[in-house]
Amino acid sequence: MACSGQDVEIEELPSRGTLWTWTVQQFMPKNPYKSDETPETFIPYGVGYLELPGGVRVEGRLTENDPQKLQIGMEMDVVFEPYRTEENGDEVINFFFRPVR
Amino acid sequence: MDVAIVGIGIHPFGRTPARSGLQQGAYAARLALQDAGVEWRDIQFAFGGSASAGSADALVNELGLTGIPFINVANGCATGGSSLISAYNAIKSGEYDVGMVTGFDKHDRGAFNADPKELGIGEWYGEAGMMMTTQFFAMKIQKYMHDHAISHDTLAKVSEKAFINGSKNPNAWRTEPISVDEIINSTMVNNPLTKFMFCSPAEGGVALILCRADHAKRYTDTPVYLKAATMKSRRFGSFEVFAPSQALQQVDGPTVDASKAAFEMAGVGPKDIDVMQLQDTEVGAEIMHMAENGFCEDGEQEALIQQGATHIGGSMPVNTDGGCLANGEPIGASGLRQVYENVLQLRGQAGDHQVPDDPKLAYTHVYGAPGISAITILQR
Repeated sequence: MACSGQDVEIEELPSRGTLWTWTVQQFMPKNPYKSDETPETFIPYGVGYLELPGGVRVEGRLTENDPQKLQIGMEMDVVFEPYRTEENGDEVINFFFRPVR
Repeated sequence: MDVAIVGIGIHPFGRTPARSGLQQGAYAARLALQDAGVEWRDIQFAFGGSASAGSADALVNELGLTGIPFINVANGCATGGSSLISAYNAIKSGEYDVGMVTGFDKHDRGAFNADPKELGIGEWYGEAGMMMTTQFFAMKIQKYMHDHAISHDTLAKVSEKAFINGSKNPNAWRTEPISVDEIINSTMVNNPLTKFMFCSPAEGGVALILCRADHAKRYTDTPVYLKAATMKSRRFGSFEVFAPSQALQQVDGPTVDASKAAFEMAGVGPKDIDVMQLQDTEVGAEIMHMAENGFCEDGEQEALIQQGATHIGGSMPVNTDGGCLANGEPIGASGLRQVYENVLQLRGQAGDHQVPDDPKLAYTHVYGAPGISAITILQR
């Protein structure tokens, strides 16, 4: 946005797009990273930008973390999955990008 | 009113357990004053920055309580560049004759952990593991390699060159050359970038004495003139660090914008530059910044770097002091280190890392979160 307008509307984005770029986070980030993992249980995770046609590119975590299976331009779906558990037991859901099979 | 740099000082980069960040800043400041042959009491103003080592203006406790305006600057990795521009404009306006710019820092080990709140981003972004500068640089070069056919070997050659230059610079942190094989095979951090392709947070301090150009000869026989100092933030549609989303239509980033403005201000072009210091927080940044600053076309870096063009003896020497890769990144000091190095180069005092043939024009570029860029062009 470059117009400094405040009159915004909610628009639904398509749930399928193409991977614009990606990386794999190979080490566990420090705070503010918040997951149920410890340095011992940390599993590297993919991160990428999904290009949603007619919309925007959105940054998100990938369900895939194998660099051999990730390719710029591949199709991916937006999915919602459990990410971590709060101290009170509530499940925190996050969005992920999953390769189309 | 033109502006000259008449004094420079540096505290060696790396790790100095015996000195606080502030003390490293004071060390650099005293050397800069000495270099210009000027007393602290004669300095009329100062701009300074430090991200993790306290307020820069606390330096007055070390240097003397003279009552001058000392303004703290905070602009992420572009803090040094922003301080310099502020001082440049203060003198250019005619308000002041002589002042100091300084930056120092002392960071903990490991990657920076930025706080989303400070940048107006939701906390979820950090919790989900995306508040990582390393990821941005990895994703940017991943896309760039795909679009412009840059090889992994070329990535490694940027680090190899940085460590060679570092080994020639007595103030550098990393002073041992590392082979291309070892660089490629070191621990993967963020694909495609390995451990030895990233710089690390570190420590160090730099100070510069600036004055109005027509007073320069009072302080030194070898003044260096600031022909341009520009700074830009991102426009809508550019791809920048810490961006949860991005417009589909892409525009040039702040580096391209600041670079064009700097060349226009100086009245010179990229071909005229003899030596350049380009932000190299990791190898991809150096490669992409070569093109973003106008020194080559996208994709030409592959051949240029393979041929050694960016080495000290090459046709376009880049990061002659070893850059961030060999010096580490103390945020407040990093951008000023580039200017320090260029002043050495233009004075012909860079020793083993001196570029041959009496360089006349030198260029610095820093990039910082959340998408800002600062440039200087220096002439002797």
